[in-house]
Amino acid sequence: MNIQKKIDVGLTIQQSAIKADQAHSLKLSGLSLELGGTPILRDISFALPVHGMNILIGPSGAGKSTLLRCLNLLHQSWQGDLHIMDKDVRTWPDGADALRRAVGLIAQKPSLFPCSIAQNVVFGLGRKARKQVSDEHIEQVLRQAALWGEVKDRLHDKALTLSVGQQQRLCIARALALAPKMLLLDEPTASLDPRSKQCIEASLLELAATMPVLCVTHDIEQAKRLGGQIIFMCDGHLIESGDSVDFFARPERIESREFLRWSVCDCS
Amino acid sequence: MNERHAKTLTMMLALPALLLPAVCLLYILFKGIPALDWAMLFGSAQGASFGSVTALWPQITGSLLLMLGACVLAAPVAFGGALFYALAASHRQQKVLLGMMHLLVGIPPIVYGLCGLIVLVHLLHWGISLLTGMVILAVIILPMLLLNSVNAINRIAVGRTEAAHALGLSNGEIIRRVWLPAAWPALLTGLLLGMARALSETAPVLFTATVFSGVAWPDSVFSPVTSLQTHIFYLAQEGANAQAVDIAWASAVVLVLLVTVLSFSASALRKIRVH
Repeated sequence: MNIQKKIDVGLTIQQSAIKADQAHSLKLSGLSLELGGTPILRDISFALPVHGMNILIGPSGAGKSTLLRCLNLLHQSWQGDLHIMDKDVRTWPDGADALRRAVGLIAQKPSLFPCSIAQNVVFGLGRKARKQVSDEHIEQVLRQAALWGEVKDRLHDKALTLSVGQQQRLCIARALALAPKMLLLDEPTASLDPRSKQCIEASLLELAATMPVLCVTHDIEQAKRLGGQIIFMCDGHLIESGDSVDFFARPERIESREFLRWSVCDCS
Repeated sequence: MNERHAKTLTMMLALPALLLPAVCLLYILFKGIPALDWAMLFGSAQGASFGSVTALWPQITGSLLLMLGACVLAAPVAFGGALFYALAASHRQQKVLLGMMHLLVGIPPIVYGLCGLIVLVHLLHWGISLLTGMVILAVIILPMLLLNSVNAINRIAVGRTEAAHALGLSNGEIIRRVWLPAAWPALLTGLLLGMARALSETAPVLFTATVFSGVAWPDSVFSPVTSLQTHIFYLAQEGANAQAVDIAWASAVVLVLLVTVLSFSASALRKIRVH
């Protein structure tokens, strides 16, 4: 199946998944965060469905990446309520480390460990699980990340020899190896070539059919391609959220219209 | 000024930095090597009541014991302090810790020696002993080791640590699986330089750990030792005694060789780190 077909199929699956299931995988209400006395996030509330693509969009400095770090508990000094799979994250069983395994976070720049491709895939697993992990599992997650075809003959090569686009897909595979309940991605295709961008978008759309995916981007065209639910942020505020088709066709707020027209927003 | 003149000028300025240590080293080797022989290094130390006629192995042993003891005491504290700095300290605590370490690095070693003499030797009644010397040398090299450990951890890419956190690795796993594999050459380099520093200090061990002669091998950590550094110091005062001066030069060669081995090892490890 070529990449365009994969994107079309993924979009169809996720639209139907959103309509069919109105339960929430993540509920956030009144999240605020100050860092060094400066308010970064202000009273953010939204919910994510059980499956599907969700795009967190906004200009640079809107607080999108910081919000992702709050959801993954890399920032813990925020105020408000955050429930993932109906569990309060502050009382998550086995603590913050267990939550982070359940909520995969992929950073903007790929950060691999100086070991082989296969070892990177299983890096997040415990010692016992690393020893017992099957080749099939490694293959499965690499396929999910659309990387298997390119690395199947060199799984024991150094991961750092991969191209940046391949490294980013390896980071996705590494997060998937932990069988996360949701995936958070912070501008995963920033500074990648169009071909790598297309590969990652296709695999994200496939993943969004089985789990909630929250992807940060400031690229309006990419947000249109990925579709799903749009959450538009500016200057630490959540300005508008809703279905991507409606958002791009009929944005309700003046800030949204301004951003869609000029890719900037002045709401401070 | 054209490029050629600039190059000549910088070379002229760099020349003393290259020549002075080289001349000193060559002079030490020139004076010391003829005085060195097997008997002087490893001969009998029995019956020696005066340092100038003993073999040097008790002094070498004393210096090495002091150096190793200081490193054993200081290294865990320095690495633990660096981990606290990187994992648990607030921004304010980090600033205080680094400020204190930079301050302690600048204090002259003789002041540490004086503190050791007053507090450990007299107030705590540890006496002039191997343990007192080890503790004081450990205190002297601690700031250097801690700052080196902090730098070694800071040099690890932030993204790699964050990726490990995002994968749900505990702090212990991050230290073991991410930091130590990346930082060990830098940590070991710092330790070797710390050893070289401990081996070079004279005044603190003079006050707290060493006697001139009469000790071949310490009975316990509460016994005094002899050391190469203080041996050279005592012998150099015997300027009229040609044999004493010869032994001083020979001792200097041994000390310089020991420090050089440590420094070259540190340099080799730095190359591993670069690769």
